[in-house]
Amino acid sequence: MERQAQIVTELRQDTTDDMKLVAEVLRKNRKATAEFVSRYTDSVYSYVRRRVMPRTEVAEDLVQEAFVAAWQSLKNYRGDASLRSWLLGIARHKVDDYYRKRLRTSEWPDSDDESVAEPSVTPLYEEQIDRALLNVKTQRVLACLPETYCLVLLWRYQEDRSAREMAQLTGKTEKAIERLLARAREHFKRRWNHAGT
Amino acid sequence: MPGHERGDELFRMFSELDEAAFDERAPARVKSRIYSALIREQQETGPLESLRETRAAGHGLCIFEELVQIAPVGQKAKSPFFCWACHARLLAENLENAPIFWANCPYVAFQKR
Repeated sequence: MERQAQIVTELRQDTTDDMKLVAEVLRKNRKATAEFVSRYTDSVYSYVRRRVMPRTEVAEDLVQEAFVAAWQSLKNYRGDASLRSWLLGIARHKVDDYYRKRLRTSEWPDSDDESVAEPSVTPLYEEQIDRALLNVKTQRVLACLPETYCLVLLWRYQEDRSAREMAQLTGKTEKAIERLLARAREHFKRRWNHAGT
Repeated sequence: MPGHERGDELFRMFSELDEAAFDERAPARVKSRIYSALIREQQETGPLESLRETRAAGHGLCIFEELVQIAPVGQKAKSPFFCWACHARLLAENLENAPIFWANCPYVAFQKR
Protein backbone atom coordinates (compact mmCIF):
# COMPACT_ATOMS: atom_id res chain seq x y z
CA MET A 1 0.00 0.00 0.00
CA GLU A 2 2.82 2.37 0.96
CA ARG A 3 4.66 1.46 -2.22
CA GLN A 4 1.55 2.23 -4.30
CA ALA A 5 1.21 5.63 -2.65
CA GLN A 6 4.87 6.30 -3.37
CA ILE A 7 4.42 5.37 -7.03
CA VAL A 8 1.38 7.66 -7.32
CA THR A 9 3.34 10.52 -5.74
CA GLU A 10 6.24 9.95 -8.13
CA LEU A 11 3.92 9.89 -11.13
CA ARG A 12 2.32 13.14 -10.04
CA GLN A 13 5.76 14.68 -9.62
CA ASP A 14 6.78 13.50 -13.12
CA THR A 15 3.62 15.01 -14.60
CA THR A 16 4.25 18.29 -12.79
CA ASP A 17 7.83 18.34 -14.10
CA ASP A 18 6.60 17.54 -17.61
CA MET A 19 4.01 20.32 -17.53
CA LYS A 20 6.56 22.81 -16.24
CA LEU A 21 9.00 21.85 -18.99
CA VAL A 22 6.28 22.03 -21.65
CA ALA A 23 5.23 25.50 -20.48
CA GLU A 24 8.82 26.72 -20.75
CA VAL A 25 9.33 25.17 -24.19
CA LEU A 26 6.09 26.77 -25.38
CA ARG A 27 7.46 30.14 -24.22
CA LYS A 28 10.41 29.33 -26.53
CA ASN A 29 12.89 29.21 -23.70
CA ARG A 30 16.02 27.94 -25.46
CA LYS A 31 17.54 26.24 -22.43
CA ALA A 32 14.30 24.44 -21.60
CA THR A 33 14.14 23.32 -25.22
CA ALA A 34 17.61 21.87 -24.80
CA GLU A 35 16.46 20.11 -21.63
CA PHE A 36 13.48 18.70 -23.54
CA VAL A 37 15.83 17.27 -26.19
CA SER A 38 18.30 16.04 -23.62
CA ARG A 39 15.67 14.32 -21.49
CA TYR A 40 13.71 12.47 -24.18
CA THR A 41 15.86 11.89 -27.26
CA ASP A 42 17.36 8.64 -25.96
CA SER A 43 13.94 7.05 -25.41
CA VAL A 44 12.58 8.12 -28.77
CA TYR A 45 15.77 7.14 -30.58
CA SER A 46 15.81 3.72 -28.94
CA TYR A 47 12.16 3.15 -29.88
CA VAL A 48 12.59 4.23 -33.50
CA ARG A 49 15.94 2.54 -34.02
CA ARG A 50 14.49 -0.81 -33.05
CA ARG A 51 11.75 -0.42 -35.62
CA VAL A 52 13.78 0.63 -38.63
CA MET A 53 16.92 -1.36 -37.97
CA PRO A 54 19.45 -1.64 -39.43
CA ARG A 55 18.98 1.77 -41.06
CA THR A 56 20.55 4.11 -38.53
CA GLU A 57 20.36 7.18 -40.76
CA VAL A 58 16.63 6.61 -41.21
CA ALA A 59 16.21 6.38 -37.44
CA GLU A 60 18.03 9.68 -37.00
CA ASP A 61 15.82 11.46 -39.53
CA LEU A 62 12.62 10.01 -38.07
CA VAL A 63 13.57 11.02 -34.53
CA GLN A 64 14.17 14.57 -35.69
CA GLU A 65 10.84 14.59 -37.54
CA ALA A 66 9.10 13.30 -34.41
CA PHE A 67 10.53 16.11 -32.29
CA VAL A 68 9.59 18.78 -34.82
CA ALA A 69 6.06 17.33 -34.98
CA ALA A 70 5.99 17.31 -31.18
CA TRP A 71 6.89 21.00 -31.08
CA GLN A 72 4.14 21.75 -33.60
CA SER A 73 1.49 20.12 -31.44
CA LEU A 74 2.98 20.71 -28.02
CA LYS A 75 0.26 23.20 -27.14
CA ASN A 76 -2.17 20.27 -27.26
CA TYR A 77 -0.29 18.31 -24.61
CA ARG A 78 -2.49 18.12 -21.53
CA GLY A 79 -0.45 15.89 -19.28
CA ASP A 80 -2.90 12.95 -19.48
CA ALA A 81 0.05 10.70 -20.32
CA SER A 82 3.69 11.24 -19.48
CA LEU A 83 5.57 13.42 -21.93
CA ARG A 84 7.70 10.39 -22.81
CA SER A 85 4.63 8.31 -23.74
CA TRP A 86 3.19 11.21 -25.69
CA LEU A 87 6.44 11.56 -27.66
CA LEU A 88 6.61 7.82 -28.31
CA GLY A 89 3.07 8.02 -29.71
CA ILE A 90 4.24 10.65 -32.19
CA ALA A 91 7.30 8.55 -33.00
CA ARG A 92 5.05 5.56 -33.68
CA HIS A 93 3.10 7.58 -36.23
CA LYS A 94 6.34 8.60 -37.91
CA VAL A 95 7.50 4.99 -38.08
CA ASP A 96 4.14 3.90 -39.52
CA ASP A 97 4.35 6.65 -42.13
CA TYR A 98 7.82 5.47 -43.05
CA TYR A 99 6.74 1.82 -43.46
CA ARG A 100 3.72 2.92 -45.48
CA LYS A 101 5.67 5.20 -47.83
CA ARG A 102 8.53 2.77 -48.39
CA LEU A 103 6.27 -0.20 -49.08
CA ARG A 104 4.08 1.89 -51.34
CA THR A 105 6.87 3.38 -53.42
CA SER A 106 9.79 0.97 -53.35
CA GLU A 107 10.19 -1.70 -55.97
CA TRP A 108 9.17 -5.07 -54.61
CA PRO A 109 11.70 -7.87 -55.12
CA ASP A 110 11.15 -10.11 -58.11
CA SER A 111 8.82 -13.02 -57.40
CA ASP A 112 11.33 -15.29 -59.19
CA ASP A 113 13.05 -15.40 -55.82
CA GLU A 114 10.26 -17.73 -54.70
CA SER A 115 11.70 -20.54 -56.80
CA VAL A 116 14.19 -21.57 -54.13
CA ALA A 117 12.95 -24.64 -52.34
CA GLU A 118 12.02 -24.48 -48.70
CA PRO A 119 14.57 -26.32 -46.58
CA SER A 120 13.29 -29.72 -45.58
CA VAL A 121 15.42 -29.96 -42.45
CA THR A 122 14.23 -28.57 -39.15
CA PRO A 123 15.17 -24.90 -39.28
CA LEU A 124 18.06 -23.94 -37.10
CA TYR A 125 16.06 -21.09 -35.61
CA GLU A 126 13.90 -23.58 -33.80
CA GLU A 127 16.89 -24.61 -31.76
CA GLN A 128 17.37 -23.18 -28.34
CA ILE A 129 19.95 -20.42 -28.38
CA ASP A 130 20.88 -17.72 -26.03
CA ARG A 131 18.51 -14.76 -26.12
CA ALA A 132 21.21 -12.15 -26.66
CA LEU A 133 22.68 -14.15 -29.52
CA LEU A 134 19.22 -14.52 -30.97
CA ASN A 135 18.76 -10.76 -30.95
CA VAL A 136 22.08 -10.15 -32.61
CA LYS A 137 21.46 -12.80 -35.22
CA THR A 138 17.95 -11.53 -35.97
CA GLN A 139 19.33 -8.04 -36.49
CA ARG A 140 22.12 -9.36 -38.69
CA VAL A 141 19.75 -11.38 -40.85
CA LEU A 142 17.33 -8.46 -41.19
CA ALA A 143 20.23 -6.25 -42.23
CA CYS A 144 21.01 -8.63 -45.11
CA LEU A 145 17.47 -8.66 -46.47
CA PRO A 146 16.21 -6.33 -49.19
CA GLU A 147 14.67 -3.29 -47.52
CA THR A 148 11.12 -4.20 -48.55
CA TYR A 149 11.37 -7.61 -46.91
CA CYS A 150 12.90 -6.18 -43.77
CA LEU A 151 10.20 -3.52 -43.43
CA VAL A 152 7.28 -5.83 -44.12
CA LEU A 153 8.52 -8.32 -41.52
CA LEU A 154 9.07 -5.65 -38.90
CA TRP A 155 5.70 -4.11 -39.56
CA ARG A 156 3.91 -7.45 -39.36
CA TYR A 157 5.75 -9.24 -36.56
CA GLN A 158 7.13 -6.46 -34.42
CA GLU A 159 4.35 -3.90 -34.80
CA ASP A 160 1.71 -6.63 -35.04
CA ARG A 161 -0.03 -5.05 -38.04
CA SER A 162 -2.36 -7.37 -39.93
CA ALA A 163 -1.99 -7.93 -43.66
CA ARG A 164 -5.33 -6.15 -44.11
CA GLU A 165 -4.15 -3.06 -42.22
CA MET A 166 -0.90 -3.02 -44.16
CA ALA A 167 -2.81 -3.32 -47.43
CA GLN A 168 -5.05 -0.39 -46.50
CA LEU A 169 -2.13 1.77 -45.48
CA THR A 170 -0.03 1.06 -48.56
CA GLY A 171 -2.80 0.99 -51.15
CA LYS A 172 -1.92 -2.59 -52.12
CA THR A 173 -4.22 -5.60 -52.07
CA GLU A 174 -4.27 -7.91 -49.08
CA LYS A 175 -3.23 -10.77 -51.35
CA ALA A 176 -0.19 -8.79 -52.55
CA ILE A 177 0.85 -8.11 -48.98
CA GLU A 178 0.43 -11.77 -48.05
CA ARG A 179 2.55 -12.82 -51.02
CA LEU A 180 5.20 -10.28 -50.07
CA LEU A 181 5.15 -11.53 -46.49
CA ALA A 182 5.52 -15.12 -47.64
CA ARG A 183 8.53 -14.23 -49.76
CA ALA A 184 10.02 -12.15 -46.95
CA ARG A 185 9.60 -15.04 -44.49
CA GLU A 186 11.19 -17.40 -46.93
CA HIS A 187 14.20 -15.13 -47.45
CA PHE A 188 14.49 -14.55 -43.74
CA LYS A 189 14.50 -18.25 -43.03
CA ARG A 190 17.06 -19.02 -45.72
CA ARG A 191 19.38 -16.27 -44.56
CA TRP A 192 18.89 -17.42 -40.98
CA ASN A 193 19.84 -20.97 -41.77
CA HIS A 194 22.97 -19.86 -43.56
CA ALA A 195 24.02 -17.21 -41.09
CA GLY A 196 25.39 -19.45 -38.34
CA THR A 197 25.10 -18.21 -34.79
CA MET B 1 5.78 -26.43 -41.81
CA PRO B 2 2.34 -24.79 -41.81
CA GLY B 3 2.28 -21.07 -42.53
CA HIS B 4 0.78 -20.06 -39.22
CA GLU B 5 3.56 -21.83 -37.38
CA ARG B 6 6.15 -19.85 -39.25
CA GLY B 7 4.25 -16.71 -38.33
CA ASP B 8 4.10 -17.66 -34.67
CA GLU B 9 7.80 -18.35 -34.69
CA LEU B 10 8.54 -14.94 -36.16
CA PHE B 11 6.30 -13.21 -33.63
CA ARG B 12 8.30 -14.91 -30.91
CA MET B 13 11.66 -14.05 -32.45
CA PHE B 14 10.77 -10.44 -33.09
CA SER B 15 9.38 -10.03 -29.62
CA GLU B 16 12.78 -11.15 -28.37
CA LEU B 17 14.11 -7.95 -29.86
CA ASP B 18 13.01 -6.28 -26.69
CA GLU B 19 13.47 -2.70 -25.65
CA ALA B 20 16.43 -3.60 -23.48
CA ALA B 21 18.34 -4.84 -26.51
CA PHE B 22 17.96 -1.38 -28.01
CA ASP B 23 18.31 0.61 -24.87
CA GLU B 24 20.94 2.71 -26.52
CA ARG B 25 21.63 6.38 -26.24
CA ALA B 26 21.14 8.64 -29.19
CA PRO B 27 24.34 10.00 -30.70
CA ALA B 28 25.15 13.47 -29.37
CA ARG B 29 25.22 14.91 -32.89
CA VAL B 30 21.62 13.72 -33.35
CA LYS B 31 20.58 15.59 -30.21
CA SER B 32 22.43 18.65 -31.44
CA ARG B 33 20.67 18.55 -34.80
CA ILE B 34 17.29 18.05 -33.20
CA TYR B 35 17.89 21.00 -30.89
CA SER B 36 18.91 23.23 -33.80
CA ALA B 37 15.88 22.08 -35.79
CA LEU B 38 13.55 22.89 -32.89
CA ILE B 39 15.06 26.34 -32.41
CA ARG B 40 14.70 26.97 -36.14
CA GLU B 41 11.02 25.97 -35.92
CA GLN B 42 10.48 28.17 -32.87
CA GLN B 43 12.03 31.16 -34.58
CA GLU B 44 9.68 30.80 -37.53
CA THR B 45 6.82 32.04 -35.39
CA GLY B 46 8.64 34.89 -33.65
CA PRO B 47 11.60 35.54 -31.38
CA LEU B 48 12.80 33.20 -28.67
CA GLU B 49 12.29 34.08 -25.04
CA SER B 50 14.88 36.72 -24.13
CA LEU B 51 18.07 35.72 -22.38
CA ARG B 52 17.14 37.97 -19.46
CA GLU B 53 13.92 35.99 -18.95
CA THR B 54 15.79 32.76 -19.54
CA ARG B 55 18.17 33.59 -16.74
CA ALA B 56 15.31 34.76 -14.52
CA ALA B 57 13.73 31.33 -15.01
CA GLY B 58 16.82 29.80 -13.43
CA HIS B 59 18.80 28.73 -16.48
CA GLY B 60 22.50 29.42 -16.83
CA LEU B 61 23.87 31.30 -19.82
CA CYS B 62 27.03 30.41 -21.70
CA ILE B 63 30.00 32.76 -21.67
CA PHE B 64 29.06 34.38 -24.97
CA GLU B 65 25.48 34.95 -23.91
CA GLU B 66 26.75 36.45 -20.65
CA LEU B 67 29.15 38.77 -22.48
CA VAL B 68 26.39 40.12 -24.69
CA GLN B 69 24.27 40.82 -21.60
CA ILE B 70 26.83 43.34 -20.34
CA ALA B 71 27.42 44.89 -23.74
CA PRO B 72 26.05 48.43 -24.25
CA VAL B 73 23.41 47.35 -26.77
CA GLY B 74 19.60 47.31 -26.70
CA GLN B 75 17.62 44.39 -25.29
CA LYS B 76 16.60 43.25 -28.76
CA ALA B 77 20.23 42.79 -29.76
CA LYS B 78 20.89 40.76 -26.64
CA SER B 79 18.65 37.81 -27.35
CA PRO B 80 19.20 36.33 -30.81
CA PHE B 81 20.18 32.67 -30.94
CA PHE B 82 23.92 33.27 -30.84
CA CYS B 83 24.61 29.57 -31.35
CA TRP B 84 23.93 30.03 -35.07
CA ALA B 85 27.28 31.80 -35.22
CA CYS B 86 29.11 29.58 -32.77
CA HIS B 87 31.64 26.92 -33.71
CA ALA B 88 30.39 24.74 -30.83
CA ARG B 89 27.09 24.14 -32.63
CA LEU B 90 28.81 23.36 -35.91
CA LEU B 91 31.18 20.88 -34.31
CA ALA B 92 28.49 19.27 -32.17
CA GLU B 93 26.15 18.73 -35.12
CA ASN B 94 28.84 16.88 -37.02
CA LEU B 95 31.09 15.14 -34.51
CA GLU B 96 30.68 12.76 -31.64
CA ASN B 97 32.92 13.87 -28.78
CA ALA B 98 33.31 17.32 -30.27
CA PRO B 99 36.11 19.31 -28.58
CA ILE B 100 33.84 21.92 -26.96
CA PHE B 101 33.83 22.72 -23.27
CA TRP B 102 31.79 25.87 -22.48
CA ALA B 103 29.69 25.83 -19.34
CA ASN B 104 25.92 26.16 -19.86
CA CYS B 105 26.18 25.38 -23.57
CA PRO B 106 23.46 22.90 -24.64
CA TYR B 107 25.67 21.48 -27.35
CA VAL B 108 28.31 20.66 -24.76
CA ALA B 109 25.66 19.10 -22.51
CA PHE B 110 24.55 16.77 -25.33
CA GLN B 111 28.07 15.40 -25.52
CA LYS B 112 28.02 14.26 -21.91
CA ARG B 113 27.38 10.55 -21.45
